[in-house]
Amino acid sequence: MDLFTKVCSTWLAIIAILAVVGPFLPLPDPREADFAAPGVKPFSPGHLLGTDSNGYDLLSNVVNGTRVSLMISLVSVLVGGLIGSSIGIISAYVRGRFDGIVSTLFNIILSIPNLVLGLSLVAVLATSPDPSIPVSSNRRIFVIMLSLTFVIIPILGRIARGATLAWVNREFVVAARSMGMRDKDIIFKHIVPNVLPAIYSVGFLAIGVVIVAEGSLSLLGVGVVDGVSWGAMIARVAGEFTYLPHSMYVPVTVLALSVIACNQVGDHLRSRLDLREGKI
Amino acid sequence: MLRQLGQAVVVVIGSTLFLSLLLRLLPVGLAEIYAGGFDEASRAARLKELRLDKDPVTFYLLWLRDFVAGDFGPIVSPGGGTTPVADKVGSALPISLQLMFYVQVVALVVSVPLGIYTAYRSGKRSDKAISYGLFTASSIPNFVFGLLLAVFFGVTLAWLPPLGYVSPGENLVEHFRTMILPVASLAIPLIATYTRLLRADVIATLREDYVTMAVSKGLSNKRILFSHVLRPSSVTLFTSFALNMGALMGGTLVIEQLFTIPGLGSEIGIAIFSRQFFALQSYVAILAVGFVLFNTLADIAVGFVDPRTRERRRA
Repeated sequence: MDLFTKVCSTWLAIIAILAVVGPFLPLPDPREADFAAPGVKPFSPGHLLGTDSNGYDLLSNVVNGTRVSLMISLVSVLVGGLIGSSIGIISAYVRGRFDGIVSTLFNIILSIPNLVLGLSLVAVLATSPDPSIPVSSNRRIFVIMLSLTFVIIPILGRIARGATLAWVNREFVVAARSMGMRDKDIIFKHIVPNVLPAIYSVGFLAIGVVIVAEGSLSLLGVGVVDGVSWGAMIARVAGEFTYLPHSMYVPVTVLALSVIACNQVGDHLRSRLDLREGKI
Repeated sequence: MLRQLGQAVVVVIGSTLFLSLLLRLLPVGLAEIYAGGFDEASRAARLKELRLDKDPVTFYLLWLRDFVAGDFGPIVSPGGGTTPVADKVGSALPISLQLMFYVQVVALVVSVPLGIYTAYRSGKRSDKAISYGLFTASSIPNFVFGLLLAVFFGVTLAWLPPLGYVSPGENLVEHFRTMILPVASLAIPLIATYTRLLRADVIATLREDYVTMAVSKGLSNKRILFSHVLRPSSVTLFTSFALNMGALMGGTLVIEQLFTIPGLGSEIGIAIFSRQFFALQSYVAILAVGFVLFNTLADIAVGFVDPRTRERRRA
């Protein structure tokens, strides 16, 4: 593992820890505006990274926002990955008409650019029949997770299907089948362990994709609008960067570093994978 | 080629049907939104006019017929007046297409020489730094570049307008000045992606025997790189060019919102905000059709760039 990958994994570990311990840290309430100090610069007393124009503490918001942003990405990638790769593995193992239908369905969903698909799903799902009663923040978070899960399913599904196709005709699988091993056992003992590394590496890339999507959705006005998340922070400060640039630097830097870290770790896992494949 | 076109048609029909069903089968309250404040009689007439009394499949088929004919449905204002979505598309789509066109042109013009140069210099001491730099740049989301560039060039240095849009017919110089920042924020991650791909491919091609042959014949480096190496190395770049259109479309929506450019992204934002779901359905369908069309064309074009892939496919 080279230095860059180490730095990236460390960053991801810090983010994960902050997501858990965030609420217990001695920080101001992220939703409580300090009216005495709106828009103060970083390193001001009481506000290490300063505040935005409303007086919200930036450090506290970015630390507490980690929880929602990370939860959205982890849940969508885990659930979407589980569903997608199960479908992909089974479809590649069974082949035939089922496989044809699954691939066509994947292609159809992938034909809608993923941010556009997520956007439409959130827009449709997070609508309240009465425009004067806005949808609650928790429901929005749930809808965003649901939509992004749906976006992830075909992405990881296709990867799992491709990887399974490469293994399903290997000698040891054919041998297991000819010895009368049950399909379920073959899939769990012989296919899944070989396909998993590919899914892990793309899974990390997918976490990066979801973090970006959460930020983009917020900027488009359908994200966690009034809650505490990186996307919500960026959307809030996007209008005031002309006079308070520092309130924008904070969430943008944290988000960008996290995406870079996810991509690097995913890429590192993939390159190790190629090495292993190459040795066979 | 026929097979690819057939597949494209299936995918387009599937994705538009999916969007249509999404709208009709989920409880979004279309009737409330489009015929909320109406009395009993005119409410029924309005629902009939919008085909909300039909079953979802008939609704979709009629929608598809209209969509193909260029009728993208109505935008209904709260007062009850309607404007056709096609008008909005007519004014917004060219602006978005223009933005995407600029981005792809800039990205290719920068990344092709950069990719060849970095591949040619690979193995030198600067190589690792370049690789990491490209990797990092390709991972940073475009809205981050958008915000940073807007602050730095738009506010701190005040060289360029931080937001807004001027049409080329109005003032050509101002037009380009307003487009520089949005184009740059979308192009930088793309340049990094393209350069990485081309660099890897060129490095692989440089190991081929015919390159050694060309070198031993005494051809100039420039001639070898541009006329012997570039074409076979550009296949991955070409495919990725088409695949990245999807990400670019998503990025364009965000960047338009950020820089207040009146393109499709801004219209989609307005449609969501004012809950004009018929308009949203047509906008998203246009994007999906465009994406599929682009990928199919690229798939066919790759065959021309590298005839070897055509042979392989036939085999």
